[in-house]
Amino acid sequence: MSGVPAVRISIESSCEKQVQEVALDGTETYVPPLSMSQNLSKLAQRIDFSQGSDSEEDGIESEPRDREWVKQEPEEEDGTVKFQPSLWPWDSVRNNLRSALTEMCVLYDVLSVVKEKKYMALDPVSQDPSAGKTSQVFQLISKKKSLATAAQVLLKGAEKLTKSVAENQENRRQRDFNSELLRLRSQWKLRKVGDKILGDLSYRSAGSLFLHHGTFEVIKNTDIDLDKKLPEDYCPLDVQIPSDLEGSAYIKVSIQKQAPDIGDLGTVNLFRRSPKPKTGTQPWHVKLEAAQNVLLCKEIFAQLSREAVQIKSQIPHIVVKNQIISQPFPGLQLSISLCHSTGEKKNQRASPDKTKPDDHLYVLEHNLHQMMREFHKQQLSSIVMPHPASAPFGHKRLRLAGPLAYDKAEISSLQQSEGLLEKIIKQAKHIFLRSRTARTIDSLASRIEDPQIQAHWSNINDVYESSLKVLITSQGYEQNCKSIQLQMNIGVEQIRVVHRDGRVIILSHQEQELQDFFLSQMSQHQVHAVQQLAKVMGWHVLSFSNHVGLGPVESIGNASAVTVASPNGEYAISVRNGPESGCKVLVQFPRSQTKELPKSDVIQDAKWSHLRGPYKEVHWSKMEGRNFVYKMELLMAALTPCP
Amino acid sequence: MSLMRSELHFSNVSFCSVCQVPVAEGKSVQHTVDVLHKKLEQMGSVKQGSFCVDCETYHATNVSGQPSKLLYVMHNSETPRSCMALYEGGPCIVADANFDVLMVKLKSHFQNAKGHKVECRGSRYRYCDFLIKVGTVTMSSSARGISVEVEYCPCVVPGDCWNLMKEFMQSFLGPSVPELPSVFATKPEGLFAQAEIVDTMTQYLELFNKLRKSQIPGSNVR
Repeated sequence: MSGVPAVRISIESSCEKQVQEVALDGTETYVPPLSMSQNLSKLAQRIDFSQGSDSEEDGIESEPRDREWVKQEPEEEDGTVKFQPSLWPWDSVRNNLRSALTEMCVLYDVLSVVKEKKYMALDPVSQDPSAGKTSQVFQLISKKKSLATAAQVLLKGAEKLTKSVAENQENRRQRDFNSELLRLRSQWKLRKVGDKILGDLSYRSAGSLFLHHGTFEVIKNTDIDLDKKLPEDYCPLDVQIPSDLEGSAYIKVSIQKQAPDIGDLGTVNLFRRSPKPKTGTQPWHVKLEAAQNVLLCKEIFAQLSREAVQIKSQIPHIVVKNQIISQPFPGLQLSISLCHSTGEKKNQRASPDKTKPDDHLYVLEHNLHQMMREFHKQQLSSIVMPHPASAPFGHKRLRLAGPLAYDKAEISSLQQSEGLLEKIIKQAKHIFLRSRTARTIDSLASRIEDPQIQAHWSNINDVYESSLKVLITSQGYEQNCKSIQLQMNIGVEQIRVVHRDGRVIILSHQEQELQDFFLSQMSQHQVHAVQQLAKVMGWHVLSFSNHVGLGPVESIGNASAVTVASPNGEYAISVRNGPESGCKVLVQFPRSQTKELPKSDVIQDAKWSHLRGPYKEVHWSKMEGRNFVYKMELLMAALTPCP
Repeated sequence: MSLMRSELHFSNVSFCSVCQVPVAEGKSVQHTVDVLHKKLEQMGSVKQGSFCVDCETYHATNVSGQPSKLLYVMHNSETPRSCMALYEGGPCIVADANFDVLMVKLKSHFQNAKGHKVECRGSRYRYCDFLIKVGTVTMSSSARGISVEVEYCPCVVPGDCWNLMKEFMQSFLGPSVPELPSVFATKPEGLFAQAEIVDTMTQYLELFNKLRKSQIPGSNVR
């Protein structure tokens, strides 16, 4: 206590208990209160009756008590304090304490009295405003403190949240990669080699025997700047395809008339197509599909070139760089080329393309793809499971050949297989033959107005065969004069024509042959039409011949002729129609009508006048009428006497 | 061995008739064959390669005292991928060529009777729809007789074409035309059941057995 002299000791009067000690931090230790009787005895003890006289000097009632108290202490401690009764060093403190004690005692008494509630009663007094103020300050401080803690907690939480958000984003990207990988996995074959993920885009599992490995690598594309905005087509998964499968490719099949300059060989490069990525598909899928297409095109071309070298044909197939040239028909060449564009070249090649006509045969390209896939399937089905453990590997039909006792012919039919090139050449031949037949008929139809030629093509064709029906008619007489109906079957090497009467004519691939055939048929049609018209008009057919052996020789086919007589037999019309010489119409008049006949000595009798007279040619071009049959009808009508 | 005959369509084996041609008196087997060839060529038949039918005999080794049965394993060049196994008086199977390998594995059950191998080799002739196979039957390198197989390719039902075939055979075999092969006659379905490869092989087997039992015509051995 002595070390801290400036400390003011405040004594709370409200305290009921005696303070024994006040610690440095202000904690008070109380003396357990004495009971009423104890207190009384204590007080009685303290009364020093001897000093009672002394105290009169002081005049203060409290002094003697103090002295008593002070004196009591030395008594208790015997010799130590005995020697300094008045020279108390802490006199002021003692006095203060004594006065305090006095007050305390008074207060105690008051409280005791109050407690008794007999003589006094306590009433609450209104609170001092200054005390409230201190509590407000305290409240403010405490609030401030708690707010600060709360803010700290919140800040910590926010920090954690931002951290977790960033983590989340990273995780999501990772998850996106995984989900993309899962999608990739559902469509493509993948395997893990070391820490790489490799995929297989080759058709090997589908039965391909192509040696290209067709491996692609799956790359994680998550290392991008988080702050930057993601591009539209961003995908966390990327694939790396072999460099030789990049870009786009297709097989160009075309048939050309004349042989190109040898310098041009192997440089066919037409990049007419640019792959249009479908919306909604992943970029890796587009990339892989394109690469797979390139691979398939390469396989087809490799197969074709291998066959082209192996197959012996009369005119050897030429394989130059990316082009295979074959001659299906003389003067005609089938060119199959592999067009592979790798992105950057596209711009250079775009302009010269437009000058060239696009003679690409899409059907054949499609068929090539189809045949390649069929080949794959065949390969695959040869090792189809389940397979008997003891049976040799091979095609199922071939395997069953033993137990089913196939004979030689059946086995050879199973084994024979045509190559891709042979098939495509056959198809090309057929397509060429078909298109040329169509062109020939069209050109004839536009060139020759009378008679008319019509072609009805069948919608359903085989790759090696198609059929059409050709009708030759005259305008306005379609119902009366249905003479020529030709059923044509266009095959690979030749065209088979079936006449209405069942005659079969086989035409070769030569265009001239087909044209000549149609011209002769058209010429025959006219004569047939006259014959049929005569029936309608009531005329009689005297003679009819499809192939007249007389007269000028036609360069194409034969002339045909018909002679019809009028109903009463007076007149006769003779028509000769040749494919080259055209038609010649003669009218025979009755002898009686001819004046200039020389008088003969032999035929004097009147009955000879019924003999037929001479022929006169009709100037056919000057006849009225829009076509041959109409002219003929007019002529017949003119020569028929009115009844 | 895939023996799933019911799985796919039946191979249409056309009706065949196999018969033995007696060797002419005092002539060798080869001479008789040559005569037949000449006759066929005179008719206008065209030679189309050769054919071969062979037959191996196996003894079934059974522990019980029953008499052991015979198993005949036959091949026909007309069905090059097949192997026919005929059990004496029992079932027959048509298998693929691996059956021979199987027989080796079944050595403990079926023992190959060496020296019982019968072969029939000769040329094929085609006359319109008829396929004629004239063969020499050889047993342990001795010619035992001549077989003539006539096949009428368009028909698989014996009853429909037997008369036609008989008439055709008369044209080059003369009066020694055999009767309808007993295989067809004894079939439960009668004459109008489809002919099978096994029928042809049974006929060959009967012919071989007949020749085996017959005396070796000493003068004709070549």
